[in-house]
Amino acid sequence: MRILAIETATPASSVAIGEDGRLAAMAVEVDARGHLGFLTAAIDFCFAQAGWSPRDIDAVAIDIGPGRYTGLRAGVATAQGIAAAVGAPLITVSSLVVLALRAATGRRRIRPIVDVRRGQIATQPFQPVPGGVVSDGQPEVMSPDDLRGLLEVDPEDTLVVGDWESLSEATFRGLHRAKRGRPRYPGADVVLEIGEIKAARDDVTPPERVRPLYLREPDARINWTDIRGGGLWPGAGS
Amino acid sequence: MGDGGGPVVLGIETSCDETAVGVVAGSLLLSSVLSSQVEAHARFGGVVPEVAARAHVEAIRPLVHDALRQAGIHQTQVDAIAATRGPGLVGSLVVGFGFAKAFAWTLDKPFLGIDHMEGHLFAPRLEHPGYQPPAVVLLASGGHSQIIHVPEWGRYTEMGRTIDDAAGEAFDKLARFMGLGYPGGPAIDRAAASGDPTAITFPRALGDRPFDLSFSGLKTSVTTYLAKAARADMVPPLGDVAASIQEAIVDVLVEKTFNAVDATGVGRVAGGGGVLANTRLRRRLAEVAADRGVELFLPSPALCTDNGAMIAAAACFHLGDGSRSGWDADVDPGLRLG
Ligand SMILES: [Zn+2]
Repeated sequence: MRILAIETATPASSVAIGEDGRLAAMAVEVDARGHLGFLTAAIDFCFAQAGWSPRDIDAVAIDIGPGRYTGLRAGVATAQGIAAAVGAPLITVSSLVVLALRAATGRRRIRPIVDVRRGQIATQPFQPVPGGVVSDGQPEVMSPDDLRGLLEVDPEDTLVVGDWESLSEATFRGLHRAKRGRPRYPGADVVLEIGEIKAARDDVTPPERVRPLYLREPDARINWTDIRGGGLWPGAGS
Repeated sequence: MGDGGGPVVLGIETSCDETAVGVVAGSLLLSSVLSSQVEAHARFGGVVPEVAARAHVEAIRPLVHDALRQAGIHQTQVDAIAATRGPGLVGSLVVGFGFAKAFAWTLDKPFLGIDHMEGHLFAPRLEHPGYQPPAVVLLASGGHSQIIHVPEWGRYTEMGRTIDDAAGEAFDKLARFMGLGYPGGPAIDRAAASGDPTAITFPRALGDRPFDLSFSGLKTSVTTYLAKAARADMVPPLGDVAASIQEAIVDVLVEKTFNAVDATGVGRVAGGGGVLANTRLRRRLAEVAADRGVELFLPSPALCTDNGAMIAAAACFHLGDGSRSGWDADVDPGLRLG
């Protein structure tokens, strides 16, 4: 089973390809400006390294977030373009699961965080179990202050992973049960690992249902003072 | 290659609020499909970038499928794949461009990133084989207003552009002020049908810049006029106001376009962009062109507004001149033609 994995949820972006549990090639770039220039070129590079042809792809695994919307959309659009062209199934993976899985050492509760802009982060608690992690709650969007509040009242020892370096030091000051660790960013190699497990279980997502995990409604400000109800000519707008 | 029409190109356009895909063979239109978001944005009175970007993600793949099916083309028969590179909303551009580039890579086909405005400039070719440079082209929509001199395909000189609002933006803002809703161009066009365009004389910014366009003075004048009329309880019929506004916008567009025709001495005029779907503008351009003995090439209204076929048509030309975009190509929201 040959899988292409794509990861674009954070300022880091990566691509990995692999077969039957073995990583064949991987490319990583950290560039906050966007991932579109990197993705297809990186995929082309990985395929050349491994001597694969696009026709060899059996499934495309894609990190659907949470994360930065434009990056996620670049990743999803790329995954859809490739999957459509070869008729391969799509497998969706959460960025928070990717971070938690890579952090799964020890017995601490794991709390991965990713920056979702507008001064907010997305997070979800996980418990380490032999061979992986299990989620201990739903993914949520919150402010760094809310995160601090959660960690303050949590009686358990917690390992915070993800992009905590982007938050102010004050968020963690005096929190003795919360340790901070790696990884900082999710990686396509872990997306690939999870993709392989899900592919083996036939846990694929129909293409029309593959979209970023936004966790937030689009913010649209309605300028009601500008939209008049047809005051001068009643019924004009109907 | 298509039968006699030239290379088969799939074009994807997602620069603003329409997800659009088209297939052409040279300048022969094989299909043009789109998923309009007008209803989604109408409740906000304008395009909301995040709403647009989300809708593109959902629409893109089924639309590519539909465009190929309607064209009767299998994806392996496509000679090249093109997508809008800019100008536009970055969150929207990324979806079509990312999909197209990955689709092209997987199928081992050339990929071309195309300037949206160059797409509009090529749109008339899909219906008018006689449309050739040298020509003057009026491009007007909600996001842009430009007058371009085209001495030959691939060479573009901007002669004039809007110095404030785009023409379509002026229609949108005034329609909103009048309570006509969004999008404003078609709403004013409809309301104007029953009105007298000479009822009210709104100012035309014809001034000393022969090719540049300006609509902010008109906007101020209309809002002041209507506020005064409302205070005096003498509000004129809606149709008359709409027709008078439309006439003022059309006068400016027609005058500046033909100033450019006079300055360049070209014998052909073309148009593109949503504003060119306006019935009054089309009629006036046709009248003046006939008067001056100039050939006029306007796309049908469906090809004036944003569409994928125009992107494919522009890509066909560039395919011929050997241009290709690399797999590392990226969008350029601030791209500017001419
Ligand atoms: Zn346009």
